[in-house]
Amino acid sequence: MLEVEHITFSYGRRRVVDDVSFDIAPGEIVALTGSNGAGKTTLIKVLACLLMQDAGSVRLDDVDPLVRPIRYRRGIGYLSERCPLYDEMRVEEYITYRVRLKGERNLRIRRRVSDALEMCGLADVASERIRLLSQGYRKRVGLAEAVALRPKLLLLDDLLAGIDAGQRKKTAALLSAVSSRSAILVAGHELQELLPWCTRFLVMSQGRLVASLRSGEYDREELLRLLESHVAGAGAEGAEA
Amino acid sequence: MKTVYMIWKREVRAFFGAFSCGFALAAFLAACGCTFGVLLRGNEGSVLQIQSLWGVSVALWLPVLSALLTTRLFSEERATGSIEMLMSAPVREREVVLGKFLSALTMVVLAMLVTLTVPLWILPRMSPHMQGGVSFLAFAAALLILLLQASVWCAAGTLISLFFSNQTAAAVCSLLLCCALPAAVYFAVMAWVPALRAEMAWMPLLVHVYDFSTGLFSAGFMMLYLATTLFFLFVCSKSLACLRLID
Repeated sequence: MLEVEHITFSYGRRRVVDDVSFDIAPGEIVALTGSNGAGKTTLIKVLACLLMQDAGSVRLDDVDPLVRPIRYRRGIGYLSERCPLYDEMRVEEYITYRVRLKGERNLRIRRRVSDALEMCGLADVASERIRLLSQGYRKRVGLAEAVALRPKLLLLDDLLAGIDAGQRKKTAALLSAVSSRSAILVAGHELQELLPWCTRFLVMSQGRLVASLRSGEYDREELLRLLESHVAGAGAEGAEA
Repeated sequence: MKTVYMIWKREVRAFFGAFSCGFALAAFLAACGCTFGVLLRGNEGSVLQIQSLWGVSVALWLPVLSALLTTRLFSEERATGSIEMLMSAPVREREVVLGKFLSALTMVVLAMLVTLTVPLWILPRMSPHMQGGVSFLAFAAALLILLLQASVWCAAGTLISLFFSNQTAAAVCSLLLCCALPAAVYFAVMAWVPALRAEMAWMPLLVHVYDFSTGLFSAGFMMLYLATTLFFLFVCSKSLACLRLID
């Protein structure tokens, strides 16, 4: 479904993503992890069409974002690290606005919005103004908007930050349900939390992909230990650099 | 067009909720009212028509209002990061720019229509010389040229707001571009090109308003305003696309 080949991106002379290649099949939930400054957010931004890579290619069901950007973007759902929303809008109004903006047909909009609100546990705050919501709820609104149109690819940057333990479990259940029809890429540091529901782990260090571990090939403790050692090693390399 | 309408609608609603917008509109109405009053008093007994006086009094403050209204269009989105959500959605850059530009233009037109109530409704009730009233059609030509000028200022302001994430910086830069730059060019021409002094005794932008309001239409100037607007919008759309290259 998603094929990423030799992606490179630099801010000026500083290379932030360096020759990264991987693919994600439908039904997979892939965690993108690594120490701070490893290049996770930049890579997600490239995949979300917010940045244009210096080299390499991205394809989602054979659609190249550089050739057919609108079609590519129609196939993705994106949740930003900062989760920016329009504060003056109400929750339901915001999701409706976003769903309309993404080109959904009028007849389906109401159902899509109510499904998204229900899935993300937002039904009770649907008529609240976004500016009055806590960070956790804002994240849920961002997630509801990202999953509302059942995209082929979900890009979730720092999804679990600011969400409480109970909601993390619900989010995991939601993503497991959504993954039946979407490929999901989640960036984050919360290895313990990601472990039960992610099918693969990609570890980044200094812009490079240093490990790709499938959760089915290891038991939980071993996988956690391996991931922690990779991330710690990557962090140490980054500090030395 | 659906996308443009969606963005326009959201921006217009945001304008009504923004304090800066309310302040800019109130200041504009007050400034226009004062200027109109001063011009009316100063031209008592002259042959100048009331629509010309109204047109000139609005035209003077139009760049300021446009600059203040357009500052939040992109700079607010950049400051909050919500521009990321817009750029990752399946919408074209030109649709985003057009929706935002039209929302600012809508607010400017609404403000202009409010100022029209003075010559059309209030003055006829207060002045015994205007008991017959003034037709709205007499103001249509002045409204047309003001609309064209407003579109240029709004397009320029929209472009400027794209380059800043700080609204104050965007406002200052827009004011410089929309007010100070035309005035500086005019006074520079007056000072250093003596041959043009006779032809440009009045600032051309105000002369256009006066000419149109008295029925002297110029297709050339109309095309010039439209072309300038389209130029600014085109540059804005391309600059927005370039954000993907430079973050």
